[in-house]
Amino acid sequence: MGIYTQEDKLMTLSEAMKLVSDGDKVAIGGGLILREPIAAIYELIRQRKRNLHLIGTAHGFDVDVACGGGIVGKEQHTYVAYEFVYRGGCPNFRRVVEQGLVEEKEDGCYAVIQGLRAAAYGLPFYPSTCFFGTDVLKYHPEYKEFACPVTGRKLVAIPPIEPDVAILHVHKADRRGNAATGAPLVADILMARAAKKLIITAEELVSEEWFRERQGATIPYYETTAVVHVPFGAHPTCCYLYYTYDKDFLDEYIEYARRDLDAAAKGERGTWMEEWLNKYVYDVSREEYLERIGGEKKLEKLKNWKQRLFDARVYKEQLAAEWEV
Amino acid sequence: MKITDYTIDELMVVAIARTISDGDLVFHGVASPLPMTALYTAKMSHAPHMVYLGGVGGGVDPTPPFLPESTNDIWLQWGACRIETIDRIFDHFARGEVNVMFFSGGQFDKYGNINNSLIGDWRRPKTKFPGGAGACNLASLTPKIVAWTTRHEVFVHPKTGKRIYTLVDKVDFITSPGYLDGSGARERAGCAPGTGPYKLITNLGVFGYDDETKLMKLESVHPDVTVDDILENTEFKPIIPDKVSVTEPPTPEQVRLIRVEIDPYRIRTLEFRGGKEECDKRRFKF
Repeated sequence: MGIYTQEDKLMTLSEAMKLVSDGDKVAIGGGLILREPIAAIYELIRQRKRNLHLIGTAHGFDVDVACGGGIVGKEQHTYVAYEFVYRGGCPNFRRVVEQGLVEEKEDGCYAVIQGLRAAAYGLPFYPSTCFFGTDVLKYHPEYKEFACPVTGRKLVAIPPIEPDVAILHVHKADRRGNAATGAPLVADILMARAAKKLIITAEELVSEEWFRERQGATIPYYETTAVVHVPFGAHPTCCYLYYTYDKDFLDEYIEYARRDLDAAAKGERGTWMEEWLNKYVYDVSREEYLERIGGEKKLEKLKNWKQRLFDARVYKEQLAAEWEV
Repeated sequence: MKITDYTIDELMVVAIARTISDGDLVFHGVASPLPMTALYTAKMSHAPHMVYLGGVGGGVDPTPPFLPESTNDIWLQWGACRIETIDRIFDHFARGEVNVMFFSGGQFDKYGNINNSLIGDWRRPKTKFPGGAGACNLASLTPKIVAWTTRHEVFVHPKTGKRIYTLVDKVDFITSPGYLDGSGARERAGCAPGTGPYKLITNLGVFGYDDETKLMKLESVHPDVTVDDILENTEFKPIIPDKVSVTEPPTPEQVRLIRVEIDPYRIRTLEFRGGKEECDKRRFKF
C-alpha cells in the first residue's frame, strides 16, 4: 500500500486506467456476479492493455470479459464461472486457457486471502495450515513447505500477494478517496491494503462530510490513488442496494462468447467476441453503453430488484395452497 | 394436494441434510444448490441451532425468501444479523470450528479425491473446469467432507467407444484432497489429523469410506437403483457390503419445507443435466 495524500483524486476512467501498465498484477474487487468494476475493465480493454496478471478469489464476468478482450497474460483466480446463472463455465476464460493463450495459475480462496494478508500485514509470508495434498500446488512453486519452528508441524509459506493495482467498485466515495465499499466485502479491503495503487470506481460521489459525520469510510482516503465516479459501474454484475445483475445482457454475451468457444473446439478462430466488443466496448462512450444495454427502461428494471421478493411471496402462497402434509 | 411422493433431488437434499448436527457451524461454497437446500432443511427440521454462514456473501443466519442461482446474490444475506467477511469465515475452518463442508466436482475417485480443475494435462488442459474455489484449502481442514454429484453416470463416446465416468479410479487432477492414495496418506501430506472424506451422495446412492483401507464403500442405493446400476456407472469397484440398504426417504414435512418454504423456484434441480424434467421422472412413493 502507498500513502496518497492529494486532496483531489477525482479523474476520468480513461485517466485512471492509465495508471495500469502492461504486465501489471491487477487485483479485481467483488466476486462472482457481485460488484465487479466492469466499467474499469472495459476501459482497460479499450486502452489495449496487454499481459495483465489478474488475481482474486471466485469471480465471473470480469475475468471472462478480460480474457475475451485480450488483456490477460496470467490468470490467478480460484473459480471462474457463473454458478447456476449459467452452466458450463465462462466461455472466454475456458477458451484462452484451453488454447494456451493465457497462463493459468489456479489458486485456492483461502491461499489468495493469506497471500493478500501477508502483504496487508507486512509479513514476509503467511504460514498456511491448509495447502496440502492438492495438485493446485503445481501451479505455485512460490508456495514453499516448511516445518513450524514452534510445533514442528508441516506448514506452507504463502509469500505476500502484492498487486501493482487493485481496482474496486464501491457504493460511495469522495474526491479525496474515502470509500464506503458496501457488503459483502469479499476480499476488497484486503486487496486495498495489499496493493501498491488503489483505483476506486464509485456508484455515488459524496462529500467528505458524509464520511466524517458517520466515520463511514471502510477505506480511508490515504489508501486510495484515484477516484472515478461511474454510476452503474458494476453492470452487468450487481451492486445492491442500487441494482441487481443484468440477466438479459449476460444471456446475449454468453451466446457470443460460446460461439467463439465452439469455433475454437473445431480449430477455427471465431470473431463473435470481436463483434461483441465492437458493440459494447471499443469506441463506445459510457452514455452510448447505457443506451445500448436498454437505456432508462433497463436501468429502472435493474433498480427495481425488490420486485423479485414480492413475486416470490405470491408464488410461495400459491405453493402453500397446493401442497399439504 | 396431499404430499404422497418425493423426487430424486429431494432425496439427495435430505441425505445431505443428515450429515449436519444440531449446533454445527456450517458454510457452503459457490455453485451449491443441493447443499444450500439441505442446510435449510436441516435447520428447519433436526438442527435448529445450526449456525448458517450463507455462502460466499457471508450472511450470518440469513432467512432467504427463496434460493437464488448465485451464492453472492443478496437473497442469501436477507435477514442476516451480520454480513461476515469471507476471510473470517475461512478462519473458522483453520481453528477447527467447522465440522462439515460440502464439495462437488467433475471427477471423484475411490479415495474421495475430487477434481474441480481440468481434464487432461494440467499444463495444457483439454477441458478447463471453473476451479475449486476454496476446496483445495478447506478440504485439508474439514473433519467431515461431504461430496455430492448429480452426474453419477457413464458416457460411452459414440466414435471411440471409450467409457467416460464421473466416479473414476483416479482423478486427472486432485483439487480437493481426499484420502489421496490410501490409509495415512492425508496425514503424511500435512492435512490436519481427524479430517477427510465422510460421504459421497450421488444421484444413484450414498457412499462412505472404509475405516482401514479408506476405499469408497456403498452404504445405500436410491429406491429405483440396483447394485448392478452402481457398478455399471462406476469405473472402480467400490466396497459392496453383503446387505445394501435403500436410502432413507425424506418425511412429508421435509418435502413440504423444500418445495414451499426453502426452494420454491427449484434452483436445486438446475444441478441435474435434465433439470426439473429429470427430477420429476424419478418420483418415489412414501
